[in-house]
Amino acid sequence: MRLRGNAFKENITGYLFIFPQMLIFLLFLVYPILEGIRLSMYQINYQSEKFVGFDNYITLFSDPIFFKALINTVIFVVFIVLLTVGFALFVAASVFDKNARYVSFIRGSYYIPVMVSMVVMSMVWSFLLNPANGLISYFAQEAGFGYVNLLGNSKSVMPVIIFVTFATNVGQAIILYIAAMIGVPKDLFEAAEVDGANRWHVITKILIPSVRPSTLYITIINIIAVLKIFVVIQLLTGGGPNNSSVTLMYYLYNNAFKFNQLGTASAVGVIMFLITLLLSVPQLRSMIKQK
Amino acid sequence: MRGISMTQKVKPKKRLERFDMISNIIITFFAILNLFPLYWLLTSSLKNSSDVVKMPPDWFPTTITFSNYIEVFKSQPALRWTYNSLFVSGVSTVLVIIVGAMAAYAFSKINFKGKNIIFVIFISSLMIPKEIMIVPLFRIVQDFGMVNSLNGMIWPNVATAFGVFLLKGFFDSTPDALREAARIDGAGEWRTFMQIMLPIVKPGIGALFILNFVQVWNDYLWQMVIGQEKTMKTLMVGTATLMQDLNPNFAYKMAGATVAAIPMLIIFILFQRYFTQGITAGAVKE
Repeated sequence: MRLRGNAFKENITGYLFIFPQMLIFLLFLVYPILEGIRLSMYQINYQSEKFVGFDNYITLFSDPIFFKALINTVIFVVFIVLLTVGFALFVAASVFDKNARYVSFIRGSYYIPVMVSMVVMSMVWSFLLNPANGLISYFAQEAGFGYVNLLGNSKSVMPVIIFVTFATNVGQAIILYIAAMIGVPKDLFEAAEVDGANRWHVITKILIPSVRPSTLYITIINIIAVLKIFVVIQLLTGGGPNNSSVTLMYYLYNNAFKFNQLGTASAVGVIMFLITLLLSVPQLRSMIKQK
Repeated sequence: MRGISMTQKVKPKKRLERFDMISNIIITFFAILNLFPLYWLLTSSLKNSSDVVKMPPDWFPTTITFSNYIEVFKSQPALRWTYNSLFVSGVSTVLVIIVGAMAAYAFSKINFKGKNIIFVIFISSLMIPKEIMIVPLFRIVQDFGMVNSLNGMIWPNVATAFGVFLLKGFFDSTPDALREAARIDGAGEWRTFMQIMLPIVKPGIGALFILNFVQVWNDYLWQMVIGQEKTMKTLMVGTATLMQDLNPNFAYKMAGATVAAIPMLIIFILFQRYFTQGITAGAVKE
């Protein structure tokens, strides 16, 4: 049992230790969120602010480009996350029990694009896809498709961006899955082998169920990462052609820093904030339960 | 059809290995294919302006030139950009480690009132990207007079909960008895933290350093918005402006992108082990 004075001292020590982190947290995260909610109900012109209630939200929902951005973002999230989780599971399940050097080669070659960043990868892809002198356009021409401009065509621009984003970012999911699968108890595989299970059974009946917490984690971090997809849009398409690849984050950025519609941009931010919060609930719940 | 009759003849054990083998061949093929854009980036940056757009392309550069790199450093403040990136990533990361380790230690070891509720609220922000609050965040940074300054790029990075989340896991796995013993020996909380506990969680700090450094280095939108003057850009933002540069030479653009990519490639090759460690330490434990 501690003395009362001790407990008091312990409280003060605790607060002092968390103080710097909490101060920065309040200043640069909590306050911006609250301020964002407030700004979303104002019309802002440089220094003057006028309360307009939910007008900004009404404007948003009557803007076809906002809807386009919303739908595109949902399409990106669904396809990129499905591809990422599916492919990463396939890769990890196939390589995790092979020799260490092979595993580290696979891990490295899928993770290097993550390391060199979306900016650099977008620049390379923009060169590869360039209609005049890109390698992919050259191949398409050789194969008899004639002049192709994959990024300039509203039908092909979405699949191309989905592919580029997926190929650049899948490495992280692969690393997580490999680590999770190496952690699955060996006796489970031995038991399965005794029962005469083949590789496919092992993957579907043992591996996939065992790594479910990782699947949840990977799904959520990827949803949130794709939700704010921006770099690849800005560097590859600029939201075009004709807004066919515009996303929420790109729309928000344009409203805030190009059209000076700070109220509308804040409203987009609030909507994205609510989506993010909603999506992270299952993950947070499992993390809090864990402790 | 012959394939089916063949697979029927082999024993189940054999077929299973074939499935595994085919999967691994596909995976290796894609792994190499996935590296091709980087190969193309590097070789294109070494070609001259006419070779780089030659069709059919040169798979290996025939005349190797470094003129594109010289051009990047001569016509752009690329050294300054590199310094900015190093400074912003380095300082952000050191700050994240200092304030994060203190908070993580308190949440893990010290019993203070309201600890759990504060922790839950704080950790709930783990998944919220700063970019979605970019308008109010920009206004705050503007009020502090930190637009066009490296300070403005740094502080919002320190607000995130990831460092605390990761380090708390490491503190949790150290025995409480250690802290008690230090206290009995007369060491204050600060000395216990600095001299006993911090050295124990060094692997966690190492993982956090690398993960956070890379993350800030590769950050884009926030740095772009804050660093508006040409000399206040970071390497990623500055490099991206080469895409809109009037110079139509693709080799020049690729040289810029290579300059931006190389530091991270080196870090990855040197610290691959820490990456795997850090990324998985941040995830759920099975």
